[in-house]
Amino acid sequence: MVDEKKLQDKAKETLIRDDVRRLIGWKRSTYGYEAAPAVLTDASQADQLIFDPTCVQNLASFISLEEKKPVARGAEPDTRKIAVMVKGCDSRAIVQQLVEKAYSRDDVVVLGIPCMGVIDRRKAEKLFGETAGQVSAKVDKEKVAVDIEGDVKTVDRKDILMDKCLRCRYPNPLVSDFLLGEEVEKWADDDFADVDDFEKMSPEEKWKHWDEQFSKCIRCYSCKSVCPMCYCVECVVTQLKPQWTRRSTDISENTAYHIQRAWHLAGRCIECMECQRVCPVDIPIMTLNRKMTRDVKEMFDYEPGVDPEGEPMLASYNPQDPEDYIM
Amino acid sequence: MMDESNPYLPYIVRIEDAWYETPVGDRAVKTFRVNFTDEKVWDTWSHEPGNCAMVGRLGIGESMFCISSSPTEEGYLRFSIMKAGKVTSALHELEAGDTMTVRGPLGNAFPMAEWEGKNIVSIGGGIGQAPLRPVINYIRHNRDKYGDLKVIYGARTSDLHCFKGEFDEFTKEGTACHLAVDVEEEDWPHFVGFVPDLLMEVAPEPDNTIAVTCGPPILIKFVTQNLEKLGFTADQIYTTLEERMKCGIGKCGRCNVGSLYVCKDGPVFSYATLKEIPEAFA
Amino acid sequence: MGDYKFAKDKLAEVLSALEEYEVFAPEAIGDVLRFKAVSDPAGVNLDDYDNTTVPPKELMFPQTETLFKYRLGQTDVEPELPDPSSKRVVVGIRPCDALAYTIVDNLYGWDFPDPYYQKRRESTTLVGLACAVPCSTCFCPSVGGAPASEKGLDALMFDLGDVYYVKALTDKGEEFGRAAGLEAAGDAESKAAAKQGEDALAKVPRSIETTGIPEHLPALYDDTFWEQFSDRCLSCGICTFLCPTCHCFDIQDECESFDGRRARMWDTCMFAEYTRHTSGHNPRPTRKERTRNRISHKYSYFPEKFDVIACVGCGRCIKNCPVNIDILDILEKSKQAGAKEAKTA
Repeated sequence: MVDEKKLQDKAKETLIRDDVRRLIGWKRSTYGYEAAPAVLTDASQADQLIFDPTCVQNLASFISLEEKKPVARGAEPDTRKIAVMVKGCDSRAIVQQLVEKAYSRDDVVVLGIPCMGVIDRRKAEKLFGETAGQVSAKVDKEKVAVDIEGDVKTVDRKDILMDKCLRCRYPNPLVSDFLLGEEVEKWADDDFADVDDFEKMSPEEKWKHWDEQFSKCIRCYSCKSVCPMCYCVECVVTQLKPQWTRRSTDISENTAYHIQRAWHLAGRCIECMECQRVCPVDIPIMTLNRKMTRDVKEMFDYEPGVDPEGEPMLASYNPQDPEDYIM
Repeated sequence: MMDESNPYLPYIVRIEDAWYETPVGDRAVKTFRVNFTDEKVWDTWSHEPGNCAMVGRLGIGESMFCISSSPTEEGYLRFSIMKAGKVTSALHELEAGDTMTVRGPLGNAFPMAEWEGKNIVSIGGGIGQAPLRPVINYIRHNRDKYGDLKVIYGARTSDLHCFKGEFDEFTKEGTACHLAVDVEEEDWPHFVGFVPDLLMEVAPEPDNTIAVTCGPPILIKFVTQNLEKLGFTADQIYTTLEERMKCGIGKCGRCNVGSLYVCKDGPVFSYATLKEIPEAFA
Repeated sequence: MGDYKFAKDKLAEVLSALEEYEVFAPEAIGDVLRFKAVSDPAGVNLDDYDNTTVPPKELMFPQTETLFKYRLGQTDVEPELPDPSSKRVVVGIRPCDALAYTIVDNLYGWDFPDPYYQKRRESTTLVGLACAVPCSTCFCPSVGGAPASEKGLDALMFDLGDVYYVKALTDKGEEFGRAAGLEAAGDAESKAAAKQGEDALAKVPRSIETTGIPEHLPALYDDTFWEQFSDRCLSCGICTFLCPTCHCFDIQDECESFDGRRARMWDTCMFAEYTRHTSGHNPRPTRKERTRNRISHKYSYFPEKFDVIACVGCGRCIKNCPVNIDILDILEKSKQAGAKEAKTA
């Protein structure tokens, strides 16, 4: 468990530093089962920070979300660091961003948090219904206790945690400057059973599945907006000149969008599941990414976001790389 | 007026003549003189200086441009278009004989009737002269209704001046024309420097005078400041705004500055109005 | 106007009787609901339904809509207007979403009326379904609505357990009642419905006092208070695309070979490209300006123009925001910031 007081103290200490511009952590949301990201600039705000199983969002996305403000003539650009709190899974995003040289290690202060799993809002709503109240939670090796405005409900963690937690191999941060809390023991593994299940479908069934799913897409782009690996300054999908992707929503354009995005994440997706979590129309986006993840692992023995000293898969070449995927 | 039953349907116009105002290339300005393929449109068409239109090309799209001809220039419309993005690049490919789409007139206009009897000073920079041209021509064609007319205009180089030949004509007619280039060039007989500085040199009297200015935002900003130094009040200063637009009829949302839609409530605004809207200068 | 009722298990029969209409009702794909044309009346289920994820604004203003078609190289354009003779009925629309139409009507009706939107509005009958249990993020009474609000509706249904009580509100609603072959309701149903409406009203979980907000928001233009929300904004389109009153759109030309169309599609002020000029200049370059615009448009600019707040309290933007940008939280904090601003001014 993470001691919130210690977490807040560390945040204060970090925010006081001259070389830190802002700190991103979690705070209690106004209602519901998911905590809100907290973007802090002043140590006095640190008391609102929390960490518990409601802290589902991968905050690594915020490093690139901050707009670069124009620097006034003669002024020095603000090179102070961004401090960010990450769980084990989230830390893979930082590793991968660093490997891709999205920014340099000196640009960030990583406050790592060992994690026992986070709540899936959809599962929670199915179990306990929607709530207008504030929620906090505790997790141990078996159970999750969800406190909905004082009403505590305890469930097996497999029934309420995110799917990614149920196959979590990296509960402890793979990169961090400060570890908030004791490292936890790995308690799950990933056998890609979900990908196996999907692959059992016939091509016709798969088409039908994606046809139904992508038809729902409203192209709000929340999946790419929240994705820590979708940090291109100008996204190929929204670029206007030249315009590669049409804005019209139909099965063809929507499919094109999702396939493009999946390809752009090949060997890069760190499986934080944020895209699927935020999708307002419940498109199981991770199915594509998970299939890609396994293929990348099997074909190239590559796993993104685990080796800070590594290099991007597509930027590396090995004469033994398989070529049979080239048609 | 355009098709009242469907404001998204464009008129088709044929290009009667097209020429470059400035050297060919990126950011070149090309002027198109166009006429409706259906001449009956003229029976219902009426525009005023300042009005805009969505000009486009089927298969590419449309963008908002000011109508750079005065309604007193009969039998055609003129658009002077700088090559910048997707639509303007496609329009620049067009020559005499080709067709374009026009949806308009849109937006408000300069209050020409209100200004009768007043002196007018027009202060423009670069392509910003396009919305001022109809104002100047409207006054030239209704000369007895207005007082003194002064034209102040500049661009980075003399090559980049739009409507080059026309300034000589104005001068011949007795209109004071003050031209500028930003940097010294050979055989340039006029002012060297920025338009706001030229304005201070010309120093028009604010009494019974309206100043109309258009150009890049930085020019508008300093011209406005200098006009105030010269004693002009905010309600004596007019300018036009531009924003990204799609519908042109106050529906699609994007061109708002505060609660005003530039496409409908504008593009013409008095500085007195704009002063109350911080977003106008964003 | 008449009061009608029908047994709940007769819903499919009632819908089937509406032969002259194209019938729309909520359809579920997994947990996501959306209004769709009904192909199988037996499949329509209005139980356990709080509201659709995508608002029924798409019935009047589809996400992608052809304005006109053309052939490249030719000069005729062929408008693709909705057929005005078609009759549509939307069954089960929530009162907030019907109220939203009455707000958006202002925009589509002013100056240059929008024939695409208006023709659909005219040909559509709205049969609402009162909310017995408000959603966790609702605040409709704060912005002129209610769980059983009749505004904008042609008829309003109440789920009374075994029967639907149907209150006709307009001639169109009356016509719906006749076409559906509904039987007359009695005092008992009408009383039960009124009671349900009152009970539901008391259960609405969230609220905001809107007085003064339209006036004080413009003063906060430069205030840093926006940043406490915009700093965590992802710049996605959820809040606006799922908002029943958000109406902004893009217009694009699309061609397949020589067949072209000019179409419009939902757009959002939360995307950076929305206002970006060709020059690259963007009057709303950061999430702060965009967040400010979204809230100001709804709660200040729109009311200034049309005298009504462009929000119906459906709670979709709150519920679906991945980062808990809660419009009520923003509005409450704007009051504090406004009070501070007034003090220093």
